Amino acid sequence: MIEVRALTVRAGSRVLVDAVDLVVEPGTWCTVIGPNGAGKTTLVEAVAGLRRPEGGSVWVGGRDLGPMRERERARVVALVPQHPVVPPGMAVYDYVALGRTAHHGLLRGATSADRRAVDEVIGRLALGDLAERDVATLSGGERQRTVVARALAQGTSVVVLDEPTTGLDVRHQIELLELVRNEVVDCGVTVLATLHDLTLAGQFADRIVLLDGGRVVLDGAAREVVRDPELAARYRTALRVVEVEGRDVVVPVRTPPTAVTTERASTGSAR
Amino acid sequence: MSTALPPRRRVAVAGVLATLAVLGAVLAGLAVGPTPIGLGRVVGDLLSHLGVGRSTLSPLQSTIVWQLRAPRLVMGLLAGAMLAVAGGTYQGAFRNPLADPYLLGVASGAGLGATIALVRVQGDGVPAITPLLAFAGAMAAVGVTWVIGGRGLRTATGRLILAGVAVSSLLTSAQTYLQQSSLGSMAKVYIWLLGSLAGASWSSVALITPYVLGAIVVCVLAARALDVLSVGDDESRSLGLPVRRVRAIVVVASSLGTAAIVSAVGLIAFVGIIVPHAVRLVVGTSYRRILPLTVLVGAAFLVFADTLARTVMAPSELPLGVVTALVGAPVFVVLLGWNERGAR
Repeated sequence: MIEVRALTVRAGSRVLVDAVDLVVEPGTWCTVIGPNGAGKTTLVEAVAGLRRPEGGSVWVGGRDLGPMRERERARVVALVPQHPVVPPGMAVYDYVALGRTAHHGLLRGATSADRRAVDEVIGRLALGDLAERDVATLSGGERQRTVVARALAQGTSVVVLDEPTTGLDVRHQIELLELVRNEVVDCGVTVLATLHDLTLAGQFADRIVLLDGGRVVLDGAAREVVRDPELAARYRTALRVVEVEGRDVVVPVRTPPTAVTTERASTGSAR
Repeated sequence: MSTALPPRRRVAVAGVLATLAVLGAVLAGLAVGPTPIGLGRVVGDLLSHLGVGRSTLSPLQSTIVWQLRAPRLVMGLLAGAMLAVAGGTYQGAFRNPLADPYLLGVASGAGLGATIALVRVQGDGVPAITPLLAFAGAMAAVGVTWVIGGRGLRTATGRLILAGVAVSSLLTSAQTYLQQSSLGSMAKVYIWLLGSLAGASWSSVALITPYVLGAIVVCVLAARALDVLSVGDDESRSLGLPVRRVRAIVVVASSLGTAAIVSAVGLIAFVGIIVPHAVRLVVGTSYRRILPLTVLVGAAFLVFADTLARTVMAPSELPLGVVTALVGAPVFVVLLGWNERGAR
């Protein structure tokens, strides 16, 4: 379970996350959505311990993450970053094995338990054929699966994903999110993710939180949030929700030409 | 990178070759010099000290081997290993391929300290206080860089590196001013700056060994952390790496070891930046493979370079820094080409 209590994060004088309260029940998936600059990445980075909050706290499984050292925290929360750094020359197996760092420490090598954990994740995510490949040579989809594998190798009850589908084609987006969904359903992992795609957010998450200006605007069941008129207002875009085979598809609708473009057109015709 | 040998095999072969190179360097360091003493007789003498057979060396030859060449050899091994492993460690800790052991101002601080000693203390030769002032200058320079760029440990490392550049520039200009203002000691300063193992003695070796060995051990032990750090500071922290602490430990150890070496042998360029890269070209990017091999290759390389430096124009000596670059650069270019062909 993740509990975010009155979390406030600043960058200089700017408030990026403003007194956010959030509870993610164990074994469920919560997706944070919101327009650019809403504070989504800041929120998940704070939950992953990468940003020191100005106020408030983050609790996982009843333990406050604030006073924890890096190693202890890495055994509680794993992160899939938005733009993972890809070290050239590192084999997929070694990259996934980085996820065990917090377990075996820096002076001791991986134990047989660590190797078993890595082998198990590599098998589960069907990365066996790629194990010897250089991470830098993988395709976008393979690479992102490898990054998720590294996070799962950490063996944490909570996984935080920041825009995990960035740069992936539709098929690989769905595949990746299905893979994460399986971890939630089969392994009881608690997931906090940010996503830009509202349709995918609605179809994969149990709950959606709409963030705007660093504050929580909507918080509810995925289906309710994607159908809430507030969503279009916050994105300042016309949105329609279409039901396809029982699932919600959120479609942006091009609005009529604005006053500015009309004016330009009329100026052009007067010449 | 790809070549005929699989990676694991290649690391093993590289390890064996590097060990043989160190053994070869030890024998060359003891047997080669202006006074011809056969390799067999040196080995015979070495064995006689271990209680096997009898030595055929005269007392003078024995003194040359054990009081002149041996301390110089050990100093060369320590200096090569330390500079190379410090360079490799900095390249990992700062994720910067251009990093070398002098990144944070060790060289300029030591240069200024040594110049003060050489210019201010009258008399022939190198004053006894020179290593002490060089060491103090080196550590002071790194200390100032650390204080100015300290925030770099928490955010990007760029600030720390830039602080190193600023401190280095300032101290180098002060050193140059001092050097120019005292023309009488200019040659001494110049020779010191180019680095040399000629002044090595058992006492100087004994003085620096604890620092250097300690630093080498810490750097090699940091290899696993540096492998994690290759995914960047944020991801490393999320994987459980105490990034600030690791970087601080590595900087303190490398600075102490490098300052100790520089205070004893002056500024030897090139080893710290090129040896780790050459090793990386052969064994790949994991610091767990790079750093131990870098210790061996750095040690062997510097002793071979010194053997050349003191024999090519005997009885006078070439500056060691000149030889390391003159020999090392072509070797590195060949390795680069070999790696390029292997990658195709």
